[in-house]
Amino acid sequence: MRSLVQAAIAILVVCALLFFAAHQLESRGSAGSQDTITVFNWGEYIDPDLIDQFTEETGIKVIYETFDSNEAMKTKIEQGGSAYDVAVPSEYMVEMMIEDELLLPIDHSKLPNLKNIDPYFLDLAFDPGNQYSIPYFWGTVGIVFNPTLVEDHLTFTTWEDLWDPSLQDKVFLVDGAREVMGMGLNSLGESLNSKDEALLQQATEKLISLSPNIKAIIGDEITPLMINNEATVALTWSGQAADMMWENEDLDFAVPEEGSNLWFDNFVIPKTAGNVDGAHAFINFMLDAENSAQNNDYVGYSTPNLAAMALMDPEVIEDERFYPSEELRDKLEVYENLGLEWLGKYNEYFLEFKMSLQ
Amino acid sequence: MKKLSTASKLYLVLVFVVLYAPIFYLIFYSFNSGGNMNHFESFTLEHYQAVFADSRLIIILINTVIVALLSGFLATLIGTFGAIGIVSIRNKKMRNTLLSLNNVLIVSPDVVIGASFLILFTLIGIKLGFTSVLISHVAFSIPIVVLMVLPKLLAMNTTLIDAALDLGATKRQVLTRVILPYIQPGIFAGFFLAMTYSLDDFAVTFFVTGNGFSTLSVEIYSMARAGISLTVNAISGLVFLVTILVVIGYYFVTNRSKHVSKEVQR
Repeated sequence: MRSLVQAAIAILVVCALLFFAAHQLESRGSAGSQDTITVFNWGEYIDPDLIDQFTEETGIKVIYETFDSNEAMKTKIEQGGSAYDVAVPSEYMVEMMIEDELLLPIDHSKLPNLKNIDPYFLDLAFDPGNQYSIPYFWGTVGIVFNPTLVEDHLTFTTWEDLWDPSLQDKVFLVDGAREVMGMGLNSLGESLNSKDEALLQQATEKLISLSPNIKAIIGDEITPLMINNEATVALTWSGQAADMMWENEDLDFAVPEEGSNLWFDNFVIPKTAGNVDGAHAFINFMLDAENSAQNNDYVGYSTPNLAAMALMDPEVIEDERFYPSEELRDKLEVYENLGLEWLGKYNEYFLEFKMSLQ
Repeated sequence: MKKLSTASKLYLVLVFVVLYAPIFYLIFYSFNSGGNMNHFESFTLEHYQAVFADSRLIIILINTVIVALLSGFLATLIGTFGAIGIVSIRNKKMRNTLLSLNNVLIVSPDVVIGASFLILFTLIGIKLGFTSVLISHVAFSIPIVVLMVLPKLLAMNTTLIDAALDLGATKRQVLTRVILPYIQPGIFAGFFLAMTYSLDDFAVTFFVTGNGFSTLSVEIYSMARAGISLTVNAISGLVFLVTILVVIGYYFVTNRSKHVSKEVQR
């Protein structure tokens, strides 16, 4: 009996010691200052060196977590399990999160570097006055293609090129109702936010006439297919196209002249934030011209930061595929919140189009 | 004991080589400066340094050991009395039913146990983290402890208890002076087995971790998803070392308790 009691005491003492050790380690981890912020971002969407620099400059420790879809991020924030201080949703998700009252207003007086942002990207319909969000990266929807595998006259500067008979069974589309229906509407020269039943009908018919050329409607699997020259033409986001072109130099990307979609990923401060000042400091740090340029060099998406663009390789910012000319930029549209009813109609027509495929 | 023939010795060696080769292969490459497991370049301790420099990883390692020790301790406490309770049931049918229920828990898949705990915890509002992991580990360890303690209890001669009662011992004294010392080796065996189960459990823990709390097996899994780095080898090597230490500890404890129980019998 005595040895049993001794063993029990020994176990409990060891546990207590270990608890103490873990506690010491945890508090030492945030040495100097108790300040920490938790940043919730897409995977591979920041230069990790910048996080260390931020901690060095401000003494605020960064806990960095990643997500892989807007919806997953929103769910985690809604659950409230962890206190995220900064998150990076896309523009439609910003709108939804504002509606669901999941965001805190951003204090512009704490963001002196906000002046670096191109005014063109501020005060947009999804968040008037940038009350809740600050643009981080932006991009377009366009066509990525492999010039070595398509006929020379196809440059994809117009959506019509997708309908070319030489592309039979070669076109991949991304599986998104807004993207594909938007493409149909754009190819008719209409707005991708159209709320007109007749126009939607027309766009669907136009899309159905594309079906002989369509090979598949898929998601992220398109990236390896394009890289390995197994796919020829795909409708995709500019960011994804940039990734593909990084891996396979043959690939090219074009945004058709009739117009297309313009998307944003934005900094927001979720309602669960425990360190609002730290969150502002972090956003301001990322808006700094030099930091933003460095980050852009790592991530490779298009930055809305004018001051950073001045510091970047001119070859990058003069690339009209990723920094479209003003003329084309005027034709790009941000997805508007269509409301449930019209979103349902877009989905229905998209489904009708998908059903028409064999 | 009869001396083993050369053939049986060879067979024995072969079995142990097959069992230990992967572990030593992994530990061997944890000292590789080459950065991958394709070829060995030169000896280095940098991967171990990387483990110790990463305070998050060390905290996870400590957490894993705390959960193993505490859950083993609690499960042994509950399981031992459970076993005594089961044995003291006179109704044979009832006793067998309880035993079978206990065994069902041992053979039921970890995934099922993990998923049901996750549902239970979210239902009653226990936040996922240390508490949820500890509770679930205690729960799946109890049946193992019961199974380890039971044979000792069954082997015990009931006349011992009768004699103690005849000599005027109270029920409490019977428990602490007669039953517990007799089944002590079983209790220790149960504890160490529960501890190793807790140390290497992945499936159940995977379901019930959250809010930044993580154990080593879950962490290694998520590290491996991003490509196996030699840090994983280093930390696995460390865990192997800890396990060996536990086994040695077990050896010494059982040796001593055998000694003690002999004294009691005398």
